[in-house]
Amino acid sequence: MNDIQQASVAAFELLLSGDQTTWEIISLSFSVSLSAIAIASPLALILAFFLAFFQFPLRRALIALFNTFMSVPAVVIGLTLYLLLSRSGPLGELKLLFTDKAMIIGQILLSFPLLVAMAHAAFQAADRRAWETAITLGAKPWRAFFTLMFEVRFGLIAAVVAGFGRVIAEIGCSMMVGGNILHATRNIPTAIALETSKGEFAQGIALGIMLLIMSLSLNAGVSLFQGKGELRA
Amino acid sequence: MSDLIDYHGIKISLSGKLILDIDHLAVKAHQCTLVTGQNGSGKTTLFKIMSGLLRPDSIQVDYQGRQMNWKQAKPVLQRDIIYLHQQPYLFDASVADNVAYGLYRRGESKNSVQKKVFQALDWANLSHLAQRHAKHLSGGEKQRVALTRARILAPSLLLLDEPTASMDNEAKQQTAYLLQRLKEEGVCVVISSHESHTVDHLADHHLCIEHGKITALEPVKQSAKVTVLNHVKNTLSHD
Repeated sequence: MNDIQQASVAAFELLLSGDQTTWEIISLSFSVSLSAIAIASPLALILAFFLAFFQFPLRRALIALFNTFMSVPAVVIGLTLYLLLSRSGPLGELKLLFTDKAMIIGQILLSFPLLVAMAHAAFQAADRRAWETAITLGAKPWRAFFTLMFEVRFGLIAAVVAGFGRVIAEIGCSMMVGGNILHATRNIPTAIALETSKGEFAQGIALGIMLLIMSLSLNAGVSLFQGKGELRA
Repeated sequence: MSDLIDYHGIKISLSGKLILDIDHLAVKAHQCTLVTGQNGSGKTTLFKIMSGLLRPDSIQVDYQGRQMNWKQAKPVLQRDIIYLHQQPYLFDASVADNVAYGLYRRGESKNSVQKKVFQALDWANLSHLAQRHAKHLSGGEKQRVALTRARILAPSLLLLDEPTASMDNEAKQQTAYLLQRLKEEGVCVVISSHESHTVDHLADHHLCIEHGKITALEPVKQSAKVTVLNHVKNTLSHD
C-alpha cells in the first residue's frame, strides 16, 4: 500500500514538475492520435454519407465489412502493418517501420472502420428531407453535405470522440509498428506497459492520470455540447 | 396561357413495379394546378422528379426553349423549382437563418440577405418569430416559414405536397392565405392536396393521378371556383 502511495505522489511530482520525458511521451501520444483522427475523419465521414444516402453495388457488403473491422484487435492491425512495412515486406522500401508515421498509419487503420460505422449510423438516422430541402433551396451537393453534417453533428462528434478514444489508448499496434523507442515512438500506452513491467509505477501512474483526464475532458466537452443542443432543439 | 415547363415521357419503376408513366405534363405559367389522387398514386414521386430530386428511368424536359434529357435538366430543375415536403423540414437554426439559407447559397451578401429576410418575414406576418428556434414552431408555423423560405428565392415553379395536411383550421386558413397571396404575385404553383375545401379555390387547373397515370387534366370552371370560395368563406365565418 505504501508503494502505491509513494508511486502516486511521485506520479504527481512528475506531471507537476514538467518532467521532460513524461511530457514528451504525452505530447507524442496526442500528436500521433490527433493526426490519425484528423486524416481518417474526413474520408470516413464522406464514405459514411455515401453508404447511408446512395444505393450502389456492394454497399451492404461494405457496411458489413466496416462493422466487422470495427472489432478487429489492434494487435492484428499491427501485425499486418508490420508485415507490410518490414524490410522484406511490399512497403519495406518506404522505411516507415518504427517511426511515428507508421504509428499514425496504424491508428488510421484502427479508427477508420469505427468512424465509418458510427458516422454511418448517424447519417442513417438523419432525416432525408434535410438533404432534399438543402438541394431544392439551391445548395450544391457538397454544401448540402455540410448542412446535413451540421444537422447530425452530435452523432458525428460522438463518432470522432469514440475513434480518438480507441486510438489514444491502444497498445498492440503502436508497440508493433512503433517499437516503443524513447524520444521517438514511445507513447502513453506503450510507456505504461514498459514501466509497469519494470516495476516502476510512478511514470505509469502519471501517464494513466493523463489518459483519465483526457477521457473525462472529452466526455465533459461532448456532454456540454449536446446539452447546449438539447436546450436549443 | 403559355407553358412554363413541359415534361415528356416520365417513367419510373421501383423494385420492378412501374410507379409513374406519364406521356406529357405541361405546367402553365402563372397558374395554379391542383393535383389529386389517392395515397400511393404517385403524387410525391412526380413532384420529386419535377423538382430534380429524384431520377426517373426516362424523361424529356422542355424549359426556356431548351429540350433537355435528365442529366441536362437536373441542375436546371434544382435551381428553378422548389419542392416543399408535406411536413416541411426546417434546419436546426433560427427562423431567420432558415429563411436566409437559399439566399446565402446564391452568394448574396449578408446585408442584402438580412434585408430580404426581414421583408419576407414581414410579408408572411412572421417577424415576431424571426429569432425563434425553428424546431420549436407548430406545424402551421413551420409550413408558413417553409413557404416564406421558398418564396424569397422567387422560384419559377413551387411544388407543394399536401401543404395543409394535419393542420388545425386556423393554421389551414393562414397557410391558404399565404398561398392565395403567392398566386396573386403570379408564382406558378402546383399543389397536391386532399384538403379540397382549403385550396380548391386557388386552382386554375385540376390534375388527377391514378396508379401513376394522369387520368384528367382540365381547367377548373370559374363557377366551380366561386362555389368553393363561397363555401370556404362560409366555413371560416362559422369558425
